[in-house]
Order: sequence, then C-alpha cells, then structure tokens
Amino acid sequence: MAGAKKYYAAAVLVVWLIIVTFFMILNRTLDLEVFFVLSLIGLLVVAVLIDGAFSRPRYMRYIGYLIVVEVAIFAYIVAEKILEIIAA
Amino acid sequence: MQRETWVVILVLLLAGGALYLHITTTTEEFSRHNIGWNGTSNLPAEDVRDLSRLDPGSTLLILAPDRPFTAAEVGYLRAFLDGGGRIIIADEEGAANPLLADLESEIRVRPGNLSSLERDYAHPGLFKGYVVGNDTLFAGVETVLLNRPAAVEGGEPLVETSVFTWDDIDGDGHVGEGETFGRRVVCAREGNLIVLGDASLFINAMLPENTKFIENLQPVQIDAVHSRTGSRNPIINTLTWIEERPPAVAALAALAILPVAWRFGRKRE
Amino acid sequence: MRPRASHIILAAAAVLLILLLAGEAVDPVLYAAENISTAAHADPSTIEKRSPGDAASVVPLMDELLGHTGTLALTIKVKDYESAERDLARYSELSSQFDRLVVKLDLSETDIAEFQKSNRQNQEALAALLNDSQRLDELKSLEIEVLDGDQRMAVIYEGEALRQKMRETYTAYAKREPETTRIATHYGANATPYQESVEVIAEVAGAAEDWQADAPRSPLNISVTPREGRYGENLSIGGRYADGVPGTPLTIYVDSRIAGNTTLDENAAYAYPYRIGRILAGPHLVYATAGAIFSEVATFDVLPAETNISLAIAEVNRTAVACTGNLTTEDGRPVLEAPVILRVDGETLISTETDGNGTYARTLVLTGGEHTIRAEFNAAGYPLNSSRSQVETLQVRGEGLSPFPFIAAIAAALGAGWYIRRRGLPEEHPVQEEPDIEPPPEIAETVPSVEIEGLPPREAATLLFRALRERLGIPASKTPRECARLAPDHAAFFERYERIRYAGEVPTEEELRSMEREALGRG
Repeated sequence: MAGAKKYYAAAVLVVWLIIVTFFMILNRTLDLEVFFVLSLIGLLVVAVLIDGAFSRPRYMRYIGYLIVVEVAIFAYIVAEKILEIIAA
Repeated sequence: MQRETWVVILVLLLAGGALYLHITTTTEEFSRHNIGWNGTSNLPAEDVRDLSRLDPGSTLLILAPDRPFTAAEVGYLRAFLDGGGRIIIADEEGAANPLLADLESEIRVRPGNLSSLERDYAHPGLFKGYVVGNDTLFAGVETVLLNRPAAVEGGEPLVETSVFTWDDIDGDGHVGEGETFGRRVVCAREGNLIVLGDASLFINAMLPENTKFIENLQPVQIDAVHSRTGSRNPIINTLTWIEERPPAVAALAALAILPVAWRFGRKRE
Repeated sequence: MRPRASHIILAAAAVLLILLLAGEAVDPVLYAAENISTAAHADPSTIEKRSPGDAASVVPLMDELLGHTGTLALTIKVKDYESAERDLARYSELSSQFDRLVVKLDLSETDIAEFQKSNRQNQEALAALLNDSQRLDELKSLEIEVLDGDQRMAVIYEGEALRQKMRETYTAYAKREPETTRIATHYGANATPYQESVEVIAEVAGAAEDWQADAPRSPLNISVTPREGRYGENLSIGGRYADGVPGTPLTIYVDSRIAGNTTLDENAAYAYPYRIGRILAGPHLVYATAGAIFSEVATFDVLPAETNISLAIAEVNRTAVACTGNLTTEDGRPVLEAPVILRVDGETLISTETDGNGTYARTLVLTGGEHTIRAEFNAAGYPLNSSRSQVETLQVRGEGLSPFPFIAAIAAALGAGWYIRRRGLPEEHPVQEEPDIEPPPEIAETVPSVEIEGLPPREAATLLFRALRERLGIPASKTPRECARLAPDHAAFFERYERIRYAGEVPTEEELRSMEREALGRG
C-alpha cells in the first residue's frame, strides 16, 4: 500500500497522544504545557524513526519547519519556568 | 483493508467501554455506583433491602438516610437491636432524628457547620476527632479524620473534637459574633446503637484516611432502601434489579447465547 | 497535488484547533483538581495540607501564664524582689507571645481575647503590686529613721497612698478571677495557681493594711470628674491642697505612671485634664504628689467602646497597591497612633500604624494574581473592642512579560533550523554540483551510432537515453532524474524516459522519433 509508513506514523502519534490524555484525566490535571511537551517528544521520536536515509517522501519534506516551530515554543516554556523558579 | 478494520474495531471497543462506564456509574453523592471521590463504591459492604430478614448479631449501617422509616421497619430494627445486632446511623443532616425518636433514644443529630482551628488541612471542615470512649468500633483508633461533621447530643460520647471547634453559622471561616469555641461530640453510643455525625467517613476519598476504623467496621451490611447509597438513574436501577434475581440473569444469558448457538449450530448445507 | 476536500477540511480543523489552544496558552493549566468540596464533604486529596499551626500551643501558654501569676504572687509575698523582677520579665514576654498568637490565629472575637485582656490587666496589677510592696518596705525602714515632722508626714501620706493602691489593685484582681477561671477551665487550662494567687495577694494587701491602721488623711485631696469615660474623652483630675502654696508644681500619676504636671492656682486648687488614651478598660488609680506629699488615691473607670475600621485599595503600579483607611470609635473619635494589621491572603500579616488623624496608609508589593486583603485592629492595650474591615479582593497585574523567554525561543528556533539544515534531515540539499557540470561541448561532437530499428519501444528508449547521457558527458551511474537535474535543457526527455522505464509506459512512434532526434543531437 502506498505510504503505509505514513499511516503507521500518524497512528502511533495519535495513540501516544491518547495515552498521554488518558493519564492526564486519571490524574485530574489537564495542563496544556505538559501535553505540548509530550507531543513534541512523540513527534521527534516518530520523525527520527520513519526517516529514511535515501529518500525524502513528500510528507517528510516540511516536517523540519514544524519541528523548528515546536522547539521554539518549547524553549519559550522552559525559559518561562526558569524565570518562575528564580522568582520564587 | 484489514488494517482499517482493526482500527475501527479498536475505536469501537474504546467507545463502547467509555459508554458502559458512563451508563453504569453516576455522580450522586454517597451512591454505591459512584466511582468518583464522593461515592461509596469502594466500601466493602453488603446491600440489604429487607429489614425483616437481618442476621442477628451483625452490624447494620444506615448511611445518610433520606427516606422515612415505617412503624413496621422501626419494629424490625428494635428487634434487631434487642437480639444483639449493632446499628450504626451515620447522618450529617439530621434526617435520622425521627428514627432516633421512634427508637426511643435520647441521642439527636444537630447539623451545623463545624469548623476547627486545629487542623492539618486548609479546609476548616476537615479536622481530627479524638476517640474518648471505649467501643470495639474504635479499638486501636486514636484519631478519626472528620469531614464536615455534625454534632451529636446525648448518649455516651465516643468521639470528641478539640476545644478549638466552633459552629460557623455565618460561614466566614473564623469565630465571630454568637460563635463560641467548645468541644463537640461527633459520635455517641446508647447500648447497641451508635450515632455518628459524619456520613462522609465512608466515601471513597476518605476510606484510606481512616483505615483502622473501616477495618473494625467489617463485616457490615448497608440498609440500601433508606440510605442514600442508591441511585436515581433508571438504567442502573434496572441492572441492579436484574442482578438480584437469578431467573432474570439466566433469561438474559439465554437471550444472548441462543441466537449465537443457532447460527453456528446449524448443520452446514 | 490537487487539494481534495478532505485535505481542506483537515487543514481548516488544524488551524481552528491551534487558534483555540493559542487562546488558552496564557493560562496553560486548563483544569486541576483543587479544593473540590460539596456541602457535605471535601475531597481530602485535593485540599492543601498545612502545618497544624499554633492552635495547639494556646492552651499550654494559658497554663504557663496562669502559673506565673501564682509564682509571682508568692515571690512578692516573701519579698524576694529580685526573682520577682525576673519572673515579671518572663511573664511579660509570655504575654506578648500570647498577644501575637491571638492576632495570628484571628481569635480577637472569642473569649480567648477576653482572657488575653484579663491577663494583661493581671500583669499590670502584679507589676504595680511588686513596685508598691517594694516601696512600702522602703517607707517602713525610712519611717524608723526619719524623725523630722514634715518628712514623717510625707512618709505617712505616701504609705497611705500605697495602701489604698494595693487595696484597689487587689479588689480589681479578685473581681477578674471568676470569669478568667471560667474561661481557663473551659479550655482545659489549670487555673489553680491563679486562684491561689488571689489569696496570696489578699494577704499581701492585708499586710499593708496592718501597718498603718489609723493614718490621718492626706491634706492633698484628689478626685476625678466624671468617674468614668471612654477612649478619647477628657476627665478632669483635680482637688485642693489644704496647706499648699500657690504655684507649687504637682505631678499627676495614673496607674503609677506619670500622666502630667500641673501647678496649684491661687486658691490652692488644681485641675488637670486627662485624655483617655492607650490604657486598658476597667478601673484605674490616680494620685498626685506635691513634692514629697502624696495625695489620696482616687479611682476612675474606663468603659470599652466599639471601633470601626475602613479599608480602601488603590493600584499604584503593576505590582504595588496602596491600602488606606480610617480607624474610629463608634462616636467618631479617631484612634491615634494605633497598630493596624493588614492580613494578606488570610495568612500574611503586615503591621502599620495610624497617624495623628486616625488614618493609616501602607503600600504593599504583591505578586501577580488575585489577592484578598483585610485590615484588622486588635485593640490590645486599648479600651476598645477589636474590629475588622471588609475583605477586599483585588487583581494584581504583576510584572509584564519579560523578553527572556522570547529571546530563548528565537535562539532555539535558529539553532534547530541550523542543525536540521546541516544534518540534511528532510531539507533540500543545496545544489552544489550544478556549476561544476557544464556538458563540455567538445564531447558532444562524437555522435554515437544508435540503431533502434526493430527493437521493442521501451528498449529503444533505453538505448536513446544512454546515448543522450553519453553525449552530454554525464557519468553512467546517474539515474534519469539526476540527469534531468544536471542537464535542465533535456529535462523533459529524461523525465519522459523515467516514466517509460519505471512506470511501465510505452512510448509512441512519434515520441521515439523525437527522442531519437534529441538523443543524437539533431533537431
């Protein structure tokens, strides 16, 4: 099937996010920052695993931009938390 | 095609599970079908619906009663008490006072907003009561964590609060006009009758806080007709009704199995 | 790629979701299980735990205070004045501790506050008794030495004044005992030492009585008009000095402390206006001295009054708020230079003072978020009842966004972008080979002979491709797509060949011929 890997990657990502959500509900705390960071980890892991050395399929062409944006937001969150810890 | 089918089956299973959980549980306070923090689903107890057939010598718990007791039922209860059985009435709102009057007891529940200055939690209604009497129910228990209890008058005191407890009538969190500090009794006994002014000791979130007390309580039966442990949800009530009647369970099982057996049992043409 | 409907819907949904989430980004914790409670109970796992606080230390402190009254009374009776002074210092320290505890636990409207007032009065009474006993002993020894008439009379008058003081002090002390004992036993404190101290003090005061059973009245008399008053009111302390010379300076004492000076007028009378300020409610003693001559002792009563305190909050800047307000009695008199406590968020206590007009003002620096502030007047040491203002809730904006997280985000974006580019992860390779390969024109001259007659079309196409590749001087290892990139002029040929070779398409005769022309360099 054409692009089976693409579907697998998307499915794994979705399952990962469902697991994260499940545990957040179990813990009775819905924190957007935690969800974002964990989804970023999921995306990075999946991107590394499905990347082939010899071909660059269409769905992998622009993932670089997405990762850069998410890393920027992640750096913002980390910097904010550091400020909070220093101020306290 | 196969993969998509599996995904669909998985999603349907998850949805089915969530639906089942949603239908068979409720969020009513004190309900046995409430698996949340304010339900009593984790309390190890048996539900009893017929007060005339109580085991003599056992313990009956009437948890937050909200239905009146008929004269016949009061008679059964008195016979039960005389036969050596123990009745524990846990009531925070004063709804048990008519029953107590009918049982000719001098204990009464006085609902109020008891708050304490000596407490471990930020909420003023969550504080410790000290065991002052001798009873097998409180054997090995020195303090009981209370959760917005009501004061109990009369009888022999079993559990008292600290002296810095007051009835916060205006609910402002501190002692104001007309509010005085004093020790209050939250659990009293009269013979085999124990009146506990705090029904919240039996909810799921409080069970791990008073483990020895719950241990001493076993084995216990709950009066499911008069306690607030039921549910208004018709589906849950139907399921409970079916579960109690073995013929109904058998009929349901037959209903499920027979078509399947018919489908696969036919000789292949 | 033609945009299909599903792609558009997906893209729209993703954009909508991102917008919704971005709206929540300011407060990322969407839900946290905190402080869950209903009318019947609270969920203990969501309620914050706190240290048990100092409520447990109230009763032991009461025990200690009552115990100290007992020991103090005994040391005064046996005239061990040195240890009595030490005891008194310790007692006063404990009393201050108790005062602070009452403020911290917010017990100002309970009977613990009544106990606190009694305790303060007891402490002052015992201090006065100690000093008076000491002075009385001095006078006794003085009396024996001094034989001069005037001095002797002075000693007698002073002794008489002291006797009256001690008697009044004892009466007030004994009057406080039943109520104080009741409160103490209600909380389980041991009031026995305190009850015994009353008897001991009775003996001390009685011993003073015995010394001078019949002393003549002092020529300096004193009276207070009116006999009672409230905070802020003026009482007139006056009298006559029978043998007095006009112009003699007089010193007025209230509760053994100097209250003021005045002089005798031409009628040998005097009057001193006394303003009721920071003294405890209840009975007080007043006497005057003219040189060495003591007057009699008069009493007046200070009645308690209610107070009102107001609180107004104004924002000063992003992190500071100014709290101002007025503290007045019920009659409208301002309470001057009184301590006011600002309770922030129910826990933090900040103290400030009212000025000469009964107004207080204080600027607080708070962190961002919601806060509650209440002003309280504790009335310790005043003949007033404590009061508290309304709780004011306010939002502090807090410091603005600092640039540091944004800088960090931009730096991280640049760093990640650079890393991804270098690493060659799904990014375009910069086309480096292009300037190098210019199909050298010399090699193109040799036209290889290619015979494609009689071959199946696809094989013919293959031969033609190889010919063109060789003609252009591209190495034989390059695939059709790479050749297309290296020789953009013939890109169409290579792409068409790629489809023929890999996608299984079959070229038509026409195509073959045009390909042949291109491959061999003609046309």
